Amino acid sequence: MLSAVYFLLIVIIGGSGGATRYGHLTASLFLFYLVSNSLSGGVKSVTAGQRLILNTAFPRMMLPISATVIAFFKFIPTLFVFMIMRTALGLPFGWQMLWSIPIILITLIFSLGVAILISTINVYFRDIASFLPYLIRTLLYLSPILYEASALKPKLRVLEHFNPLFSILESWSLSIVHAQTPHLSSMLAATGWALGVLIIGTYFFLSREREFAVRL
Amino acid sequence: MSSLSAYNINHKTGDLAVSVQNLGLTYTTAIDRRPTLKARVKSLGRGTKQTRVVQALENVNLDVTYGQVLGVIGTNGAGKSSLMRTIAGIIPPTKGRIEVFGSVSTLLALGVGFNPAMSGRANVHLGGLAAGMTRKEIEDHFDEIAEFSELGDVIDAPMRTYSSGMYARLAFSVAATVQPDILIVDEALSTGDAHFKEKSFNKIKELRSEDRALILVSHAMATLREICNDVAWLHKGKLVTRGNPDKVIDEYQDFLHLGKSSAIDEDL
Repeated sequence: MLSAVYFLLIVIIGGSGGATRYGHLTASLFLFYLVSNSLSGGVKSVTAGQRLILNTAFPRMMLPISATVIAFFKFIPTLFVFMIMRTALGLPFGWQMLWSIPIILITLIFSLGVAILISTINVYFRDIASFLPYLIRTLLYLSPILYEASALKPKLRVLEHFNPLFSILESWSLSIVHAQTPHLSSMLAATGWALGVLIIGTYFFLSREREFAVRL
Repeated sequence: MSSLSAYNINHKTGDLAVSVQNLGLTYTTAIDRRPTLKARVKSLGRGTKQTRVVQALENVNLDVTYGQVLGVIGTNGAGKSSLMRTIAGIIPPTKGRIEVFGSVSTLLALGVGFNPAMSGRANVHLGGLAAGMTRKEIEDHFDEIAEFSELGDVIDAPMRTYSSGMYARLAFSVAATVQPDILIVDEALSTGDAHFKEKSFNKIKELRSEDRALILVSHAMATLREICNDVAWLHKGKLVTRGNPDKVIDEYQDFLHLGKSSAIDEDL
């Protein structure tokens, strides 16, 4: 539904449509929602688990992990919806679509990393949760969702280096919508971002975890 | 979390259950109840303090053996809950050493892990899992829990429709079913109406056994006198004295300049 609304906007503003464009928009939004649901679920996971943290000894990391798992379970049915949709739209099939599997894995690692990181930050600054919708919307517009990465002017491609989702979504669209092999550089950048965020997030979480019970 | 029963090895009376040595706990906490980035940015350059350091426990030495029922008393802010949380492994100690020989279960607050939107039945499972029981153990004890809580058919209604007494009754019933080696209970005895209070008091008495160590934090002196065979008095993070329940409680009551009356005996 949301992708149809965005598609309508794109057609009205940009004047261009097409099956591939619609497929790209839908697939990219679905993957984007995996990250955004993980973020919005993860942000309050630690602060909302206050009673558990104060009264039970358990690995605190389970809280943001469960937010990512929930986001992933919400994502799985959308994959089936997209497969039906892309068949109806007549988009090409090919073995290159299998690249989407490692891309989903990379996205999961990234989602987990950001969920862990933001849940820790929210313990110290509780207003981060209110700021999050703006951050998610900014990410949405800066990522190749409403437009295709290849349509960007070279000057604007600089976004690629600052937005961790850029290379993930570009590779995703190439493999699952266009049935093409993603660029190696994008795949490497995506993996680098995902692992980097997970390592930083986990380190930050583990170094602060001992304090949670007295900060909540 | 593995099953609590997996740890249940036979402990002999007199074996060390918990050993607390030179325990010190100092922590930094935010002054604001809800610290925000906005407040932090606003205070930039003003030199206002955002955090304060709390010395919760200082040089506490305490050994608890199996078969012992230790009552912990003290005024508000004495460090009783902090001590329980450090023994349970929830807050790491700043100084000293804590050794625990056996599985620990905490009853620090009732209804931990409960989801008000779900039915009482589902919450028995949730609460049981949060307390460290396996699905099978919960299933085996379900009837016992339901019966003890005296909820009847209401157990299938969502917990948000429960009165606070009903909520607490179910929570206590779940918590009391866990059979750990070391049980830490913090103020959880005063639950529900007089009838249920009596029942839960008896349940705690039942939990006393030769191969279990119980640590109870309470302000109900009469209860402590009856249940405990040892009482420790904490004041401002330090252990004041420890020993015979009647003697320590009398000293504590003298310290508070309070005479003996049944009201005071019940709640200080």
